[in-house]
Amino acid sequence: MDFLIPSTFAEALAIKAERPEVVPIAGGTDVMVELNFDHRRPTALLDLTRIAELTEWAPSENLLRVGAGVPYVRIIDELGDRLPGLAMASRTVGSPQIRNRGTVGGNLGAASPAGDTHPVLLACDAQVEVASVRGTRMIPAAEFYLGVKRNALEPDELIAAVHLAPAAAPQQFSKVGTRNAMVIAVCSFAVALHPEQGRVGAAVGSAAPTPRRALAAEEFLAGELSDAGLWESPKPLLDSVRRRFGELAAEAASPIDDVRGTAAYRRHALAVLARRTLGWAWQDYCGTGETRSQSCA
Amino acid sequence: MTAAVEAEVGRARRRKEDARLITGRTRWTDNLTLPGMLHLAILRSPVAHARIAAVDTSAAEAMPGVLAVLTGVDLAKEQGSMGCAWPVTPDMAAPQHPAMAVDTVRYAGEAVALVVAASAYQARDALDAIDVEYADLPVVLDVTRALAADSPLVHPEFGSNRCATWVFDSAEAGTGGETAPAIADAEVVLRRRFRQQRIIPAFMEPRSVLVDPTGDQVTMWSATQVPHILRMMLAATLGLPEHKLRVIAPDVGGGFGGKLQVTPEEVLVLLAARRLGRPVKYTETRSDSMLSCHHGRDQFQDLTLAARPDGTITALEVELLADLGAYLGLLTPGIPLLGAFMFNGIYRIPAYRFTCTSVFTNKMYTDAVRGAGRPEATFGIERMMDELAAELGLDPLEVRRRNWIGHEQFPFTTVAGLTYDSGNYEAATDRATELFDYQGLRREQARRREQDDPTLLGIGVSTYTEMCGIAPSKVLGSLSFGAGGWEHAAIRMLPTGKVEVVTGSSPHGQGHETAWSQIVADRLGVPFEDVEVLHGDTQISPRGMDTYGSRSLAVGGVAVLLAADRVLDKARPVAAHLLGCAAEDLDFAAGRFTARGTENGVSIQEVTGAVFAAHDLPDGFEPNLDAQATFDPENFSFPHGTHLCAVEVDTETGAVKIRSYVCVDDVGTVVNPLIVDGQVHGGVVHGIAQALFEEASYDELGNLTTGTFADYLLPTAADLPHLVTDRTVTPATSNPLGAKGVGESGTIAATPAVVNAVVDAVRHLGVTDIEMPCTPQRVWRAIGGGA
Ligand SMILES: Cc1cc2nc3c(=O)[nH]c(=O)nc-3n(C[C@H](O)[C@H](O)[C@H](O)COP(=O)(O)OP(=O)(O)OC[C@H]3O[C@@H](n4cnc5c(N)ncnc54)[C@H](O)[C@@H]3O)c2cc1C
Repeated sequence: MDFLIPSTFAEALAIKAERPEVVPIAGGTDVMVELNFDHRRPTALLDLTRIAELTEWAPSENLLRVGAGVPYVRIIDELGDRLPGLAMASRTVGSPQIRNRGTVGGNLGAASPAGDTHPVLLACDAQVEVASVRGTRMIPAAEFYLGVKRNALEPDELIAAVHLAPAAAPQQFSKVGTRNAMVIAVCSFAVALHPEQGRVGAAVGSAAPTPRRALAAEEFLAGELSDAGLWESPKPLLDSVRRRFGELAAEAASPIDDVRGTAAYRRHALAVLARRTLGWAWQDYCGTGETRSQSCA
Repeated sequence: MTAAVEAEVGRARRRKEDARLITGRTRWTDNLTLPGMLHLAILRSPVAHARIAAVDTSAAEAMPGVLAVLTGVDLAKEQGSMGCAWPVTPDMAAPQHPAMAVDTVRYAGEAVALVVAASAYQARDALDAIDVEYADLPVVLDVTRALAADSPLVHPEFGSNRCATWVFDSAEAGTGGETAPAIADAEVVLRRRFRQQRIIPAFMEPRSVLVDPTGDQVTMWSATQVPHILRMMLAATLGLPEHKLRVIAPDVGGGFGGKLQVTPEEVLVLLAARRLGRPVKYTETRSDSMLSCHHGRDQFQDLTLAARPDGTITALEVELLADLGAYLGLLTPGIPLLGAFMFNGIYRIPAYRFTCTSVFTNKMYTDAVRGAGRPEATFGIERMMDELAAELGLDPLEVRRRNWIGHEQFPFTTVAGLTYDSGNYEAATDRATELFDYQGLRREQARRREQDDPTLLGIGVSTYTEMCGIAPSKVLGSLSFGAGGWEHAAIRMLPTGKVEVVTGSSPHGQGHETAWSQIVADRLGVPFEDVEVLHGDTQISPRGMDTYGSRSLAVGGVAVLLAADRVLDKARPVAAHLLGCAAEDLDFAAGRFTARGTENGVSIQEVTGAVFAAHDLPDGFEPNLDAQATFDPENFSFPHGTHLCAVEVDTETGAVKIRSYVCVDDVGTVVNPLIVDGQVHGGVVHGIAQALFEEASYDELGNLTTGTFADYLLPTAADLPHLVTDRTVTPATSNPLGAKGVGESGTIAATPAVVNAVVDAVRHLGVTDIEMPCTPQRVWRAIGGGA
């Protein structure tokens, strides 16, 4: 097996064009598990960790461009104020060791339905910047996930970065797991308020073959909020509204029974997560509740 | 002059072995490399029950680096049958247990072929090239249906899946009355069925074994808890002369009972090394370990408790259905029976009957896991005490008070026939309730219920005792166990006054080197640093019964103490000779013999030097101060304590959070408080883990579905509360140290405390039990959430 160590992104793209079968490795926290379990034996690994461009983040127009190789620990430390939802999801990933190495690019590359950043990227309308020797294109997060562990990358493409707007209003992420750390989500949920657009973003994780937006829940809530003029003069949400939002969010899922949980439990827990995360985010928006930085349900 | 020295026993010393263990700068078995060493990999059955129709090894043999591929057929003549040391009844069904399956596999994970190659990777790769044809047989997985007449059979030669039925009846034993009339007459009768799920010991260091056959002796290094038992059993299994075999347990990274086994892997590596005439090593992966290391617990408990309306217990009946898995390991059939003596707990119960039916299924076999039989029993009785309290509308502590043995009643012979030498349940309970703020939490619980708070509070109690310090040899004999329960120690006085302590206990993380050094430093009055503890090598420490059953200190530590006393006995006449006085006129303190009433003295080191030189010794004195001792305890030791747990249950998600946990344990004399706290913390966490997280599950085909740490859940620090620990000290009277075991007590105590708390939180919703582990989903279901 070859271990290829490009030092620039251009070099990496050239290799990927020439040998599309090579497996990129960033933090390696998914790739090494697959190799150790002998789930795959690539002919070559393409090490992305020496490529400086991938490990940087910077403002780009009115968005933030976060390099695919920025590890979770830096998202938490450096971007927690501007990307609170992504930082919350990052905090729930694995353990300190995994957060030191693991990256959003890797989460997207693996495209596991249980990946923790996915619901946040969906709720925040993130764009995935992918590149090849042919050029660069932007893929909306909602179009990136194609199936269980399948994404929209072409064989010669690499993920360069994700682009998200700095949060203008509260965001929340929450995950139900079988324990509090080092755990694959039984289900997860993200909500982001977008007052400037008069809408909310909402998405479910680990409860369908791909992470998914909860469109019906989004539409219902947008309607409720604007009908009552709540964006302009925020008041606490009716319990019935939060509950309905939860139910609709759960309906977005098509969960399965597995060792971690039954479909019925997942659907129920999603409704609870959606109701609670909305409650927390809206409370923050109203400026009444204390700001929540933790995200465990 | 004698300077005042701080006593070593009782001192919270940091463990001297930790630096090397924690940094890994030590000889874990897998760290060892011998010249010419080969690597072995094992092909494991992917099916739970099948006939092996054909095995084609030719492709694997042609793979690069491969020196040998062996199947069960190749080894059939030499591999013998893995030994079970505990034939619990004369009619017990004891199946042949080949180290490698010859014609039939009976659980997923059973070894079917092995490869020896130049590198570990080559060996592993060659496994994929072995072609095994399996002819599937029907599987038996549900222990409750395994005895049905139409059940498929794990071992058809016995005509049934029953292994043994073992009964204890207090009326027959003369230790109490008959249960049937007591239950028939009782005003209160509670019946419950509890499940003890299957768990996996999950030690940190995977098992590893290395065999060097090149000398006159065969040497085996193994990550085992039991080098001495291993040597004996290998000799018996393989017909190898015992003196031609040396077994070394170098540093071993945890065991929790999982390395109290003589494993097929050890036999296979030895056979392969012998065939090839070169050193061979096998180190399991974590996934291999989960599949093929013995599992623990796995029983159904049907309990019947009879009581008067005031809560006084009048009888207890226990019927166990134990899932042994496919074969008998070293102690498999005996493990559930250790519970027979503990279901009565700390209570005065007039009539008691215990029946255990053990059954074969197509799963990995079960055997000792931390507590071994006693956690199961303690869970049963402590859950029942809370159920009784709820039934009678009494406080769970009050029901216990009405039944427990008063501190003035010791020694107390229980209905199960054991004599508890000492204890003070009142003191431990009083201290625990005080630390816990028991009444305050009860008030909060009531308030949350009244306010319909979605987060409810529950309080769980466990007032446990356990029998450990295994064991008086006579008692083991009466239980048909195949060996004694003594322990051995030797002390060697080196010419420069330094001391080597040889122990037959075999530490794998417990801190023996520190504790033994403290005992010897005190007894001989030598500096702690001057004592070296040697262990785990049958050549250095030829006699031993190894480490399990919380026996090391209360048996092995006592042997060390006795050996130290013998060194002093030997040194005394020499000291008298050197000081020119009579031996009776000597005082000994802080390492110095002094002629009574004078300043005239000589240190133990000086005596040692004089004996080494041997120039001027009493007439006829054999110039040697070394001494040995073998201690066979007259009784078990009975640690006890009170554990109180408060949980918050999120009724919307079913999530359980431990809010506070208080334990007050009585482990008798404490040699090193830091080590004891460590054992209590680890033990309690292990018990919490069984209550809330751990479960080994098999699917309907018999595949282990929890074969990695992603699915077999161990709690992390983020899942655990701050543990409040305290102690009462009631020394054991059965050994001169006054020590009781502490390695398992936390695990034994904690599980029922946690489950009692979870049930207590939601009992007003009609819940009387939640099967372990109490996962969010199970709790949610129990309170009527859904499927
Ligand atoms: C113990 C443990 C705990 C974990 N816990 C969690 C958890 O709680 N939540 C969670 O979501 N995940 C978890 N994971 C999974 C993993 O850590 C995450 O998916 C992480 O984001 C992967 O990032 P990485 O940089 O390590 O990716 P890598 O392993 O390097 O790569 C992952 C995949 O992405 C591809 N890839 C990486 N970078 C690029 C790129 N720039 N362009 C194209 N393809 C690329 C790789 O080829 C590979 O297919 C855990 C993993 C482990 C081992």
